[in-house]
Amino acid sequence: MNGIQRKIMSLSVIVLFIMVIIWVVLTYYNQKTQEQYNEVLQRYLRMNEITNLSQQSVADLNVYLSQPSATTKSAFNGATARLLNAKAGLSTLRTANNSFTLTNYMHMIESLVEAEQLSVMFQGQNNNELSSARFEEATRIHTYISETTLSLIDQDLKTYDRFYRDIMVQSSMLKRLGIWLLTFLTVTLLLFAYWFSRSITRPIQQLTVAARELARGKFDNRIEIRSNDEISFLARTFDRMRVNINGLISEMQQKAQLELELQESRLLLKESQLRSLQSQINPHFLFNTLDTLSKKAYLDGSEETSDLIASVAGLLRYNLRRLDRSVTLAEELNVVLKYIEIQQARFTDRLTFRQQIDHTLLDVRMPCLTLQPIIENAVIHAVEPLEEGGTIIFRVMKEGDSVRIEVEDSGEGMAPELAKRIVEEQTLEEPAAIGHSTGIGFSNVVRRLRLFTGRDDVIEIVSVVPHGTKISLKIPLAGRREELAEAHDRR
Amino acid sequence: MRTRTIAIAALSIGCLVMLYFTLHTATGLMAPNKSEPSLLAAADDGGRSLRLVVITQELDTPFWLKFKQGADRSAAANGASLEMWGTYSSDRIEFLKKIEIAIASKVDGIIVQGLDTPEFTNLTKIKAAGSGIPIITVANDVPMQESLRRTYVGSDHREAGRLIARQLVRQMGASGKVVLMTSDEEEDYQSQRLGGILQVLKPYPGIETINVTSGDSRDAIVKAVDNILNNRPDAKAFIAVSAAHAGIIIQQIERRSRVEPYYIYSFDDNPETMTLLKQNKLDALITQSPERMGELSVELMVDWLSGKTVPLRPDGYFTDIRVLKAEDAE
Repeated sequence: MNGIQRKIMSLSVIVLFIMVIIWVVLTYYNQKTQEQYNEVLQRYLRMNEITNLSQQSVADLNVYLSQPSATTKSAFNGATARLLNAKAGLSTLRTANNSFTLTNYMHMIESLVEAEQLSVMFQGQNNNELSSARFEEATRIHTYISETTLSLIDQDLKTYDRFYRDIMVQSSMLKRLGIWLLTFLTVTLLLFAYWFSRSITRPIQQLTVAARELARGKFDNRIEIRSNDEISFLARTFDRMRVNINGLISEMQQKAQLELELQESRLLLKESQLRSLQSQINPHFLFNTLDTLSKKAYLDGSEETSDLIASVAGLLRYNLRRLDRSVTLAEELNVVLKYIEIQQARFTDRLTFRQQIDHTLLDVRMPCLTLQPIIENAVIHAVEPLEEGGTIIFRVMKEGDSVRIEVEDSGEGMAPELAKRIVEEQTLEEPAAIGHSTGIGFSNVVRRLRLFTGRDDVIEIVSVVPHGTKISLKIPLAGRREELAEAHDRR
Repeated sequence: MRTRTIAIAALSIGCLVMLYFTLHTATGLMAPNKSEPSLLAAADDGGRSLRLVVITQELDTPFWLKFKQGADRSAAANGASLEMWGTYSSDRIEFLKKIEIAIASKVDGIIVQGLDTPEFTNLTKIKAAGSGIPIITVANDVPMQESLRRTYVGSDHREAGRLIARQLVRQMGASGKVVLMTSDEEEDYQSQRLGGILQVLKPYPGIETINVTSGDSRDAIVKAVDNILNNRPDAKAFIAVSAAHAGIIIQQIERRSRVEPYYIYSFDDNPETMTLLKQNKLDALITQSPERMGELSVELMVDWLSGKTVPLRPDGYFTDIRVLKAEDAE
C-alpha cells in the first residue's frame, strides 16, 4: 500500500473504529436499561398474575359449587395448581423491604387454597352451609390478596424509587453524553481531517510552487519536501530533474561561450589577413622580383645583398602563408632571425641581438606570427629612436609544464598603465602598428595567444622606465585547447 | 495564514473542552451504576424468623408510636420481624379486616389492641385459635374467656380509675357532683376505669356521680357536654374516661366561664392533654407506659412461641401507671 492510500485508509479506519465504539457503548447502555426495565416489569407482571390466578380459582370454585361436575372440578383444580405454581416463583421477588409482606402474601395464597379445598370438601359432604362459609372466606382472602398485591407493588415503588430515578437520570445522561460525544467528534474529526488533508495537499502545493519557479527559469532553488508519501518521491525526482537541467544549461552556456570566442578568433584572423593583404601590393610579384634581385645580386658578386634580399623574400613568404595555421616555435624563430638579419643590415651595429635558446623546446606549437610582431615592437621602441642603438635579448626556456619565451630590450621602457592595457587587451590608441612590417598589432598577438592556449596568463610585461621592457610569453607544452587548435588548424 | 492558525487553535481548544465535557458526562454515567441497588437483594432470613404483627385502631398516635418503639426494640433483640398494622380513627371494619388478613397470612403471632365486640371475639376465638395463632391483647383488654387471648399486656384500667378517683377526692373533697364522660362504644377499658372510679367514690355519700355517654364524633361530644352543662350547672368535676373527650369538655366550659373552678381529669397522656395539663386546665391525668407495653408484649409473645414461658399469666401483665398532676407538669 502506498503512502496516500495508507493515510486515507487509516483515517477511514479510525473513524470507523470510533463509530463502532460509540455504537457499542450506547447499545450496551441501552441494553442494560432495557434489561432493568424488563426486570421491573416482570416483577409487576408476576404480582399481577397472582391476583388474576386467585381470581380465576375463586371463579372456578364458584362454577364448581353451582354446577358440580368433573369438568368444573378439573378446571378448578387446574386453576389452583397454576396459582400454587405461580406462588412458588414468588420467592424470587423477595427484597429486604418486602420480605415480611411477601411471606404474608405467600401464606395468604396457601390460606386461599386451603379455604377453597375445605369448601370443596364440605360440598362433597353435602354440608352446604359450611361450604358456602368457606367460599365466602376464600372470596375475602382473594380480596386481601389483590390488596396485598397493590401494597407489594407500592412497596416496590418505594424500594426502587431511588433506582428508578437513577434509571431516568441515566437515560438523560446518556442523551447528554450522546450530544457531547457528537460535538466532540465533530470538532475532532474536523481538526483531524484538516490536518490529514493538509498533509497531502501541502507537499503538492510546495511542489506546485517549485514547478512554477522552474517554469520561470529559476533552477537554483533546491526542492525539499518533507513528507512520507509519494509526493516526496515526486519531489526528489523533480529535484534531480532540476539539477540535470541546471547542468545541461550551464554546459550549453559554456558551449555558447566557446562558440563566441571562436567567432572572435575568426574575426581577428580575418582582420590580420586583411591587413596583410592590404600591405601586399602583389605579394607573388614582389616575391618573384625579390628572388630575381637576389639571384642578380649574387651573379653580380654582391653576396651580402643577395642574402639580405633572400631574407626579405623568406620573411615575405612566411607572411604570405596562411595565418590561421599553428606553427612550431622553430619556424617562428626562423622568421625572427630573418627579420633580425634584415634589421641588422639596417641598423648595423646599433642593433645587438642575443639569443639564449633551449633547443629541445622548439617543437612546441603556437599561433603563427606571434614572436615577430613582439620583436619588431622591441626594435621600433628600443632601437630605432635611440642613436646609440639597443640590445634585444631573446630567451626560450622551460618553466614547469610550459615554455617561457622572453623578449627583453634595453629601451626606455613603458608606463605600467600601458603595460596593463596591453595585458588586458585594450585597444591601444597609438596609430595601429606604426611601421609594423606585418601590420599585426600587439593586442592581436595577445588575443590570439589566449584563444590558442585557452589561458589568461600567457603574457607578462615587466617594464622599468627607463631601463627597458621584458615581455614574457608562456605557452603550455601540452594541453592546449584542442577544439580551438583544431578550429584554428582547419583554416 | 494567520486566521487559519487562529482557527486551528480555536478548534483545538474546542476539542479539549468537548473532551472534558464528554469525559465528565461519561464518568457521571458510570458513577450511579456502582450504587445501583440489586433488584434481588433478598433478605437472607426472609420467611424463617418469627413474624409478628401489631394491630391497632389508632395508628400513628403518640401512644402507639411509643409502643412501636418499644416493640421494635424488643423484636430486634429477639430476632423477630415485626410489622405494625392498623387503622386511623377507629375504623372497626378495617381493623377487623386487618386481623383476618393477619390470620390468613399465617403470621406467627398477633399482638392486638383489644376490642370488646362479638366480631373481634369471633375472629380471635374461632379463626385465630383454629389456625393456631396466639393472640396477645395490649393496651385494652377483652375478657379472656371470650377471646381465647393468651394474655394481656397493658395498664390496669381499674387501678387507673381508682387512682384518678382518689386524686379527685383529694382535690375536691368529699362532696360534689362528678360528671363521668364515657364513649358509647362500651370498650372494656372504659368500663374497667369506670368501675375503678365508682369503687373509690362509693363510700363518699357527698359525691354524686353522673354518667354521660356520647358518640365518638366531635359533634356528639360537644352536644353531650353542652347538655350536661345546661342540665347540671352545679357539676364540680369532670372525668374524661375516654381521653379524646378532655379537650372538648374544657373547650365547652371555656365558652361559658373560667375553667379553673372545675376539677377536670383524664386518662392517657397525649400532646393535647399534656398541653392542657401544663396550662393548668386539666387537674390531673393518668400516664401509661406504652413503650414498656410494646417491649413486654413482643417479649412475651416470643417467649410463648419458643416455649420458654408456658402458659402466660391469664390475668395479664400490668405496666406502670401513675397520676400526673398539674403542678408536676410545670
